[in-house]
Amino acid sequence: MKLNRRSFIKRTAAGTALFSILPREVMGKMGGGGNYIAPSDQLTRGIIGTGGIGRSGLHFQSDQTCRLVALCDVDQNHLDAAMKQAKTSFNETPKAYHDFRELIHDADVDIVHIATPSHWHGIMAVEAANAGKDVFCEKPMTRTIGEGKRVEEAIKRNGRVFRLDTWFRFKDTFYGLGTDVKPLKKLVDSGLLGWPLKVRISGATGFTWKFFWTGKENLEVQPIPKEFDYDLWLGPAPYKPYNVHRTHQTFRGYWDYDGGGLGDMGQHYIDPVQYILGKDDTFPIKVEVDAPQQHPDAVGIWRSITYTYEDGCQIILEGEGFESQGKVPYIEGPKGKVYKGFECTIPNVQEIINELPDPPQRNTDFIECVRNRRQFALNESNGHHSATIVNMGVCALRLNRTLHFDPKTQTFLGDDAANLLVNQPMRGEWGKLI
Amino acid sequence: MNKKITNILLAVIVALSAAMPSFAQDARQRKVETIVQDVLAQMPVQDKADLDREMEDLAKSAPQSVQMLAQMMQPAEKASNNLLEYAISGVVAYASAHPQYKQAVSDALQMATPRAADATARQFLQSQLRLLGEVTPPEFTAHQGAATYTAQYDKLTALGDKAAGEIAKALKSKDRAYRMQALKFATDHGMASDEALLSKVAKAFKSAKEDGKVDILNWLGDNKVSSQTSLIVKAVKQGGAVADAALEALGRIGGDEACDALLSALATENGDAAMEALRCIPDNLNGKVPAAIISSQGEKTIALLKLANARRLRNTGALVMELCNSLDAEVAKAAREALSGVVGKDNAASLAKCLDKAPQEQVANYAKALRASVGFMQPQEQLQLVGQLMQGASNTSRFYPIIASTDTKEAVQQLQEAWEKNGSKEALEALKTCNNFEASKAMLTAAKQGDDKAMLRYVQLVSDNVSDLDDRCKRLSDALGITKSASTRKAILKALGSTPTMTAFTNVGKYLGDDELAYTAAYAAKDIAAKCEEELDYKQLCETLTLAAEKIKVAGSADDGYAIDEIKKMIAEAEPSPVYQLSEEEEKEGYEMLFDGTNLDKWTGNKVGYVPVNGCIVVTANYGNESNLYTVNEYQDFILRFEFCFTRPGVNNGVGIRTPMGVDAAYYGMCESQVLDHDDPIYEGLHDYQVHGSVYGVIPAKRIKHKPLGEWSTEEIRVQGNHITVTVNGEVIVDGDISKACKGHNVAPDGSDYNPYTVDHRNHPGMFNKKGHIGFLGHGAGLKYRNVRVLDLNAKGKKK
Repeated sequence: MKLNRRSFIKRTAAGTALFSILPREVMGKMGGGGNYIAPSDQLTRGIIGTGGIGRSGLHFQSDQTCRLVALCDVDQNHLDAAMKQAKTSFNETPKAYHDFRELIHDADVDIVHIATPSHWHGIMAVEAANAGKDVFCEKPMTRTIGEGKRVEEAIKRNGRVFRLDTWFRFKDTFYGLGTDVKPLKKLVDSGLLGWPLKVRISGATGFTWKFFWTGKENLEVQPIPKEFDYDLWLGPAPYKPYNVHRTHQTFRGYWDYDGGGLGDMGQHYIDPVQYILGKDDTFPIKVEVDAPQQHPDAVGIWRSITYTYEDGCQIILEGEGFESQGKVPYIEGPKGKVYKGFECTIPNVQEIINELPDPPQRNTDFIECVRNRRQFALNESNGHHSATIVNMGVCALRLNRTLHFDPKTQTFLGDDAANLLVNQPMRGEWGKLI
Repeated sequence: MNKKITNILLAVIVALSAAMPSFAQDARQRKVETIVQDVLAQMPVQDKADLDREMEDLAKSAPQSVQMLAQMMQPAEKASNNLLEYAISGVVAYASAHPQYKQAVSDALQMATPRAADATARQFLQSQLRLLGEVTPPEFTAHQGAATYTAQYDKLTALGDKAAGEIAKALKSKDRAYRMQALKFATDHGMASDEALLSKVAKAFKSAKEDGKVDILNWLGDNKVSSQTSLIVKAVKQGGAVADAALEALGRIGGDEACDALLSALATENGDAAMEALRCIPDNLNGKVPAAIISSQGEKTIALLKLANARRLRNTGALVMELCNSLDAEVAKAAREALSGVVGKDNAASLAKCLDKAPQEQVANYAKALRASVGFMQPQEQLQLVGQLMQGASNTSRFYPIIASTDTKEAVQQLQEAWEKNGSKEALEALKTCNNFEASKAMLTAAKQGDDKAMLRYVQLVSDNVSDLDDRCKRLSDALGITKSASTRKAILKALGSTPTMTAFTNVGKYLGDDELAYTAAYAAKDIAAKCEEELDYKQLCETLTLAAEKIKVAGSADDGYAIDEIKKMIAEAEPSPVYQLSEEEEKEGYEMLFDGTNLDKWTGNKVGYVPVNGCIVVTANYGNESNLYTVNEYQDFILRFEFCFTRPGVNNGVGIRTPMGVDAAYYGMCESQVLDHDDPIYEGLHDYQVHGSVYGVIPAKRIKHKPLGEWSTEEIRVQGNHITVTVNGEVIVDGDISKACKGHNVAPDGSDYNPYTVDHRNHPGMFNKKGHIGFLGHGAGLKYRNVRVLDLNAKGKKK
């Protein structure tokens, strides 16, 4: 019988002959302080996707509270580099996997960290939830609205904790806006700007849509590198002849895997807006696009994308080179405007904000959430909502037309082609996993 | 590139149309192959209206048109199908919104799919076909997770609103995840106000262990269940994690009872949780806190003071002022720290006194408080009030930061005077915090004396306030030149990176060789190249960006990869500069190329304001543009030919003829032939001897209408003896003798400054110069010259 970590610990606690691991109480006393974390309380993590973000300093971590125990990649070079990095950075030798399913079903892994291109996020999150794992998923949450719904269901049905990894709704200066989100939330909640509000995410307000993440339409067919399992990298995506530009950092330029700057940065930029506007439990009802015709494979540029909520609130995305001119407010309401750097048309706004209570407390420590089974501040539900805003934009862009959305059914109204983009076919057997 | 592909495709169409019947003709009597051909020439379409029009053409001529397009697709290895893919996906998207065309387009794709050129083409056609199909619910199966959870979830879902009993049952489980799943279900299904459930939850709470109690309290708080406030308040007594959770929940729920419990929990073992909750609690705390402060002491008072500060409880202002003198030193210190959050305008006078008299370690507290107390007034009022409060103070410099915080011009003047005349360091420090562009002068002065912080402040002020890019670029470039500290130079390079001008690009490029600064300079170069509206020289662009990519690659972080991609794309899309050559005819006649687009070797003078960019001499920013560009050689009789193009309205330049260098050619040269965008409204009322082409002040020109901005005009200036002919776009606009024009009196016969013989009544002492340089005479940016060549009419032994 294979002895997994959990049953091993259970037996120890029951007082069987294995006494190399001591109960936490004893260790606590021996250590004399509260810093030591017994292995039974230590969480473990496996990373799927060790290319860009998965190996970046922000995410490639291992410590006493959460140990890095497994790595997975379909590019042997990336996997080797990550293994080496684990050794040099933490003196760890995680288990190395080629197939993510093996990592997910590894009994030693508590938390599955999904850092792959986004066409995999839905499948992997669902598979991890079904395997009883908690999930730390990089943005964007999913590349279709249908996959997002499935992730939300799978997390709830399995009683799992899910974190979507973007964080501007609860910390850090929000890109080029020159302020964090908290004072904006307080200002909006105070009603001082009036209602409805218009939010402009644009170069003019401090955000860049990274149009260099567009795809190429003329890809020549190239030989697949030996170290790279292209078939498994594609997974559910349609099979298209290999070209290096489809993969790794530049995958963002292809609709099959992502949606350019909108697909990739969109949730970073839009999720905090959803929080500021208090729209975590609803969706816009309309999306309009102004863009050149899009290629069916390679993502192109766009001029603007406008979302409208039922109450008239709007989120306006302005593409690079198509920004509003002059002094452009980030949030505009009938009674006031707020600009970059929290500059506001309301006099003494900073002091007025200071006088208001802070927004309700939120759970922003993922490890604590996993321990206490609490819902993380940005989770399967509000994360699915902001991912859906991005994906609504993608659908409208691909069809180059205005779409109307029904927040209840999460489908488009009177547009079959748009609804066919909500759930997209998956290659081979992959669709069965989600 | 697109054109080339279209041509290849056209050949295919011709072949296909021979094999395929093409009866359909549209209103314009076009055959299907013509429609297909016309549509392909438009791919990809830039605007929705155009797109719809093109696609309607295709849809109306489907299935033939679409079938034709589909059959034109080549195997992936052979050719690019991108234009066909645009057209097919475009017509599919169009048909999906216009049901009358769905069938025909769908038929075409169905017919073409089995005959697709390869698997890639087939897969593409199928994916398009799908978009015209029916929406069927996806065939998902239930998630196969651990039965414990999935079974509970299914059971709860089946019960729906009636799940209260099941949820209560679940709360008895030892499995926390199981309990939490049940509670989360209740949240998601809006059951938190269900009285039946709440009483069951309250019961479960009593028998729950510590973690169970915490979970229930969290749940009550998350759902703002005010009916259970008493239960939660009681839970505070249990201490530990339960009390923390209870306090957090009370903060979310709010209300009188919650406030009281939270206030009493301050400065206990759970004080931190209580404080956090009180920061967020929606209730107004103005009523309770003053009384609580009065009846408290020690630690408790300190906590209440912190709270009063955090929540800006301004009705505690006087009370906190009093506590600044408390006998309990810790309380007094906490009171001083809380001051700034609670004081108002009424406290300003007493705060000013405290500020003046306070021991040094308390100055910061009182200064901050005084600033806050006047903060709600208009800047001018603030300045006036602080001015009054300072009178009679012995430590006036302590008031400087408050003066600075008004961000007014007057504040800058006051502080600058105190710094310059009295040498007050405090005044300089205060100036650094003053957000007014007026302060930039003082910052630059201090920076020049080696004050790095002042330089950073200068750079910030310039970046924030100078919107004219040329001006900003000049200021920042000058700042870079005088800065020694690497970190400050990095800040300046970054600021230059957001100043997209050609000069900024050249200047940041110079730092790519500096190991310490190369990375920052590389990003700045990339950012400028991406945003610069001025044309950057192809060679310089490629060289600078290639080097920048190398420098970025060395650092190699995740974002660096994208930066390199961006750079590669810019280089790939840049177009090489043209090189101009003499026509065969000019070659024969003996013309000489003065500027062929590549270099200014035959020119001298101001090569900063006149630079070769992509085959043109570009008159750049005002920066460095005080002087002119001259030919190295001197000429007597000649024909000068060139092209010019205005890129900004109102451009003013001129061609100097037989002129010495460094003088006003219109007077000290033979003359200046105007180059002027005289159509711009700023030149209303211009004399005819000042318009484009005119021999300035001597011979008027026939007024022409200039081409729009960005379009090129040709010009020829022929000078022989005293005769000048100017031809623009083939039209002669000046043809005259300068000597005759002033009856031989280039200067006033009476030696005065008034010359009655010239049309501008001025003296032109250089008019009869025998020879001199040809010059471009600059008055600012916005002009390009190209293809400049000259025929020297005096040259001996003309080439044949």
